[in-house]
Amino acid sequence: MFETDFIATFTPELLVLGAALLIFLLDVVGVRRLEAFGAVAVSGISLAFLAVVADLGFAPLAVLRTIPAGSVDLPLSASLTAVTSLGLVFQAIFLVSAFLVALASLSRPSGERGAAVFFGLVLMATLGMLLAAVANDLIFLLLSVEVTGIATYLLVGYTRKDARSLEAAMKFYIVGALSSTLSFFGASLLFGAYGGTGFLVLARQTAALGYPALALAGYALLIAGLGFKLTLVPFHAWAVDVYDGAPDDVSAFLAGGSKKIGIFAFFLVFVGPVLAAPALGRWCSLSRCSTLQLPATVELALGIIAILTMTVGNVLALMQPEMKRLLAYSSISQAGYMLIGVVVGTSAALTGTTLQVVAHVFMKAGAFLVVAAVVGLGVGPRVDDWKGLGRRRPYLMLAFALMLLSLAGVPLTVGFVSKFVLFSSAVQAEGWFVWLAVAGLLNSALSVFYYVRVLKSVYLDAPAPSAAADARLDRPIGVGRTAAIAIAVIAIVALGIDPQPILGGIQSATTHFLQIGA
Amino acid sequence: MTELSVASLLFLSATLLAIGLFGILTRRNFILLLIAVEIGMNAAILNFVYFAGFSGTSHGLSGQAIAVVLVGLAATEVAVGLAIVLALNRQRGSINIGDATTLKL
Repeated sequence: MFETDFIATFTPELLVLGAALLIFLLDVVGVRRLEAFGAVAVSGISLAFLAVVADLGFAPLAVLRTIPAGSVDLPLSASLTAVTSLGLVFQAIFLVSAFLVALASLSRPSGERGAAVFFGLVLMATLGMLLAAVANDLIFLLLSVEVTGIATYLLVGYTRKDARSLEAAMKFYIVGALSSTLSFFGASLLFGAYGGTGFLVLARQTAALGYPALALAGYALLIAGLGFKLTLVPFHAWAVDVYDGAPDDVSAFLAGGSKKIGIFAFFLVFVGPVLAAPALGRWCSLSRCSTLQLPATVELALGIIAILTMTVGNVLALMQPEMKRLLAYSSISQAGYMLIGVVVGTSAALTGTTLQVVAHVFMKAGAFLVVAAVVGLGVGPRVDDWKGLGRRRPYLMLAFALMLLSLAGVPLTVGFVSKFVLFSSAVQAEGWFVWLAVAGLLNSALSVFYYVRVLKSVYLDAPAPSAAADARLDRPIGVGRTAAIAIAVIAIVALGIDPQPILGGIQSATTHFLQIGA
Repeated sequence: MTELSVASLLFLSATLLAIGLFGILTRRNFILLLIAVEIGMNAAILNFVYFAGFSGTSHGLSGQAIAVVLVGLAATEVAVGLAIVLALNRQRGSINIGDATTLKL
């Protein structure tokens, strides 16, 4: 079992783990410079990203690939892990979000105590996300989610002298503990109903036994448990307080990175091999697959949750005077859009959701990083405090404006592309799925109001007299943070103008993903 | 020894889960809340152990292995929880989560 080939499959995970251990080791031997830890973290993440891209078969890097092309997207096996191309795509997404956050965190105060812990925990959380992306067993998946969870509880409370940070950590912990209890109890019921937790066992037994009451109860608990992770309504209330109270860079990581683990878990449990199982005997056409077999009640429940999530998130964002809380609510509504792909379950819909996740990493992590930079300049947390910043910091605010326009889904940004693919896939699927697209479109229109409110404050309103004289506003925001924001903006615009470079890869990945159970 | 039925065992673990969830939702003292988290987690662990007993040998072993891993996970989770309790107590001299109201609208 433990041949070098097998270990080589985990190159990205081992690189990230190695970087984390190196950081803790450097801390023990007395290194105190934040830049040193940050450099190890950034280079570890970059190397892991290169390994993942090579494994995806990106031509110039193909020599570096550590997983033979033949061992990706294999039919289900009994092993704990399986490499799928969609999993690799998500690994790349997770690594990009960790990269942006680690890069921006290089601009944290240089003498900060505990910098090793900060970067080490970011890497450990990333490790959990990478492992979840190769899970082939429900328990393995939930344990990986827990690895990320435990690392992020500590990250949220990282500035432990700050009452807000600690309170956010406490709330995050309580919600996380509740969510893992529900998820594991759900998994135990599935174990009882089907006699195993591997996706292969679940798939075979679902084909043989259908859905006994025990299994349906298990799936319901899993929706609740994973719904907490993905901030779905009615399990969303924690997100606003946590994103608000967490250190700004950590908010970017939570919204841009670790939350996405939830959507991949939904893919694995509700779209992928498991519920495609009844089709083991009679496989369907490529365009319309697995969710035909999803029990109608589960499908309907997820559809209602999706619509509720986007609507509640947007309506609450409309009334929100504080910048970070506004972004948090908008993040909740984006989770609702992402769930559309899970409900519709076609290859096109999964492509749309994956694109939406890619877009969200750049838009939301980028927006939180801009907030971190602006708060670092001494600007207050309210939208009104940002008045007139458009003239004072034109480039920074241009970046922020592009991120908000992309969140609203304006053409020529990646946010438009992802929403277009997602909503049109729901329309193509016909039936009541069309209503998902209608709800999504109405919500996008609604969301424009609060993004425009922010832009009006930034660009049209005159700054407060006290701010005009404030010299702190002209301070530089740091090289790392500038670079991270610039990368996010370039990605948003470049992928918005021409999504082809990633679109093709994601399409083939989702098509393969749906065929794995066949 | 009389045989226990699946239903009665499931009833036991469902009760434990309900006690745990109720505790998580209503307890204001963080330590008691951690205990509630443990109770809820143990409900899931218990499920794995006796479902393992009811099913065949190969799956049975995996169920017991999962139970052991989950015991470790629950301990890790509580360790992190206690770290948060310590920091909270040091900062505001109270571990009552009702006192934590800085983050409100």
